[in-house]
Amino acid sequence: MAGIRLDKLSFRYPGADTNTLEDLQLDIANGEAHALLGASGAGKTTLLNLLSGILSPTGGRILFDSEDVSALAGRIRNVAQVFQFPVLYESLSVFENLAFPLQTRRASAARIAERVDYVSAELGIAALHKRKPGTLTLSEKQLVAVGKALTRPDTSLVLLDEPLTAVEPRKKWRLRQALLKAQSDLGVTMIYVTHDQTEALTFAERVSVLTADGILQTGTPEEIYQSPAHEFVGHFVGSPGMNFVPASALGVAHGERIGFRPEWALIDAQGPIAGSIKRIRMQSTENGVPMGLITLDTRFGEIAVRSMANLDVGADIALRVNRYVVFAGKTRVGESALA
Amino acid sequence: MRSLKPRDNRAWFGVLPVVLIVAFSAVIPLMTVVNYSVQDILDFNTRFFVGFEWYRETLNDPRFLSAFVRQVVFSGTILLIEIPLGIAVAKGIPRNSKLTPFILILLALPLLIPWNVVATIWQIFARPDIGLLGVGINALGIPYNYATDPTHAWITIVAMDVWHWTSLVALLAFAGLTAIPRPFYQAAEIDGANRWQIFRLIELPRLRGVLIIAILLRLMDSFMIYTEPFVLTGGGPGNATTFLSQYLTTMAVGQFDLGPAAAFSVIYFLFILLFCWLFYSSVVRNDDS
Repeated sequence: MAGIRLDKLSFRYPGADTNTLEDLQLDIANGEAHALLGASGAGKTTLLNLLSGILSPTGGRILFDSEDVSALAGRIRNVAQVFQFPVLYESLSVFENLAFPLQTRRASAARIAERVDYVSAELGIAALHKRKPGTLTLSEKQLVAVGKALTRPDTSLVLLDEPLTAVEPRKKWRLRQALLKAQSDLGVTMIYVTHDQTEALTFAERVSVLTADGILQTGTPEEIYQSPAHEFVGHFVGSPGMNFVPASALGVAHGERIGFRPEWALIDAQGPIAGSIKRIRMQSTENGVPMGLITLDTRFGEIAVRSMANLDVGADIALRVNRYVVFAGKTRVGESALA
Repeated sequence: MRSLKPRDNRAWFGVLPVVLIVAFSAVIPLMTVVNYSVQDILDFNTRFFVGFEWYRETLNDPRFLSAFVRQVVFSGTILLIEIPLGIAVAKGIPRNSKLTPFILILLALPLLIPWNVVATIWQIFARPDIGLLGVGINALGIPYNYATDPTHAWITIVAMDVWHWTSLVALLAFAGLTAIPRPFYQAAEIDGANRWQIFRLIELPRLRGVLIIAILLRLMDSFMIYTEPFVLTGGGPGNATTFLSQYLTTMAVGQFDLGPAAAFSVIYFLFILLFCWLFYSSVVRNDDS
């Protein structure tokens, strides 16, 4: 396993006018579960291909444990990858699939059996050893594909390219749990690429939000959610994303705009943000009181607030904001104390 | 529970056109042949029922048997050459080059040439007196003459068939190869697989479907080969390149032995059916296990 560093990493496709990735700077600790979260077009796949060695950087460096691997092929970097759909050798059994990356490196049969058994126990796929991939379900196949990425003990980095996309929703949770457990037990450095914020925030120890403008923020899921460094992060992460109002609306002097999450506001007749209820979406009940997401029509546009939902559409209410983040020029310049 | 038995059978009229077309195009002609095969036909008004006499005679006819053996050897030979060669050619075609469409068109060209033209081209090309190939080989000191030497005749016919039909296998295999998603190659690269392992573990399993089609097409087609040997060698020298269909034509058209020729046809038809069934069912059985 290795710590990963991107040092002013840039990439431009041949014939393109602009860089797809520009001056990316990122440090990933050895054994860390890191998620790269980005919308489509943010350059996720390009970054993935740079890490796995399919593409070579046109600027900057990629360091594995302070060794420059920018120019090395994927098989020399010892990068394993799990793809969007399970990629297995269909004519080989599950055991042979898991053993294959070790066999090509001429490991002894005893060593192979030891590693395969270890990884299989970790992922709970030992019972599948004798079967052919064709007889497995999609999520079982993907587990085997993950296992195949983990059998080699000298793997520097495991790349996961939206590995849950093809898996049916009910199985996603179980597969993610298996992945998390394996990651923490084996201490593997993993980079999980996804456009799904739930997957990113629940999988990773740290998350990087990638856009066409570069990495906007790297931090723990908590930090990303609680204090987004950029308006886009606040907007992109969370469901729904942050509400934004002009700083003057709350009487905040520094900064241009203020962002607050739907659960950071309370209904308060004396609150500074007034509007009428446009729609209500029920979400749960707490102590018999219906809770929901209320969307208000205000002079700042639509504002969402999570609140008791015993109100009627069309009613005029006002909001008090308990906690907020202040932005200037799209980036964070301050925030209120935690309420 | 109420019975779900259909009470209105008029829907059957809907399939009537298909039944009629199939009847006239396949069933009736085939049954006519079956009918002929159990009769001795002297002329159109004088015929006797002879039962399975012609079948017995055909299966004991040494000329039929040797033509049959030749046929099996021929089909086996061209399959053994065309399938691996076709795959090799397909692997050699660049995937995303500007040249790719030209290569594909070039490969498709032999498939567009009528059988008798192919045979005529080779008939001239291989002639030892004026043909480029024939003269060339003789110039190397090899006394090559497909008209007099049975081995040379065989090599020429096999070479011609390979020239004509390897493209078909190559195009099918190329289509199969391009359908393999790139992550399979990436994964193999990461796993440290060598080229042979990539071929055997990724490409070959994924080419299975198209190769089954290619083998079936070439098997059926080569088993019925007629025009090329007829034009190139006329079945000679001697009977060296007389295959089943040519022997059949000699019987039916040349000698007007309609009864034996019909029995021959039915046997011929059943053999093609049998080979295809044997091949296909063995492939399908392998799938299940």
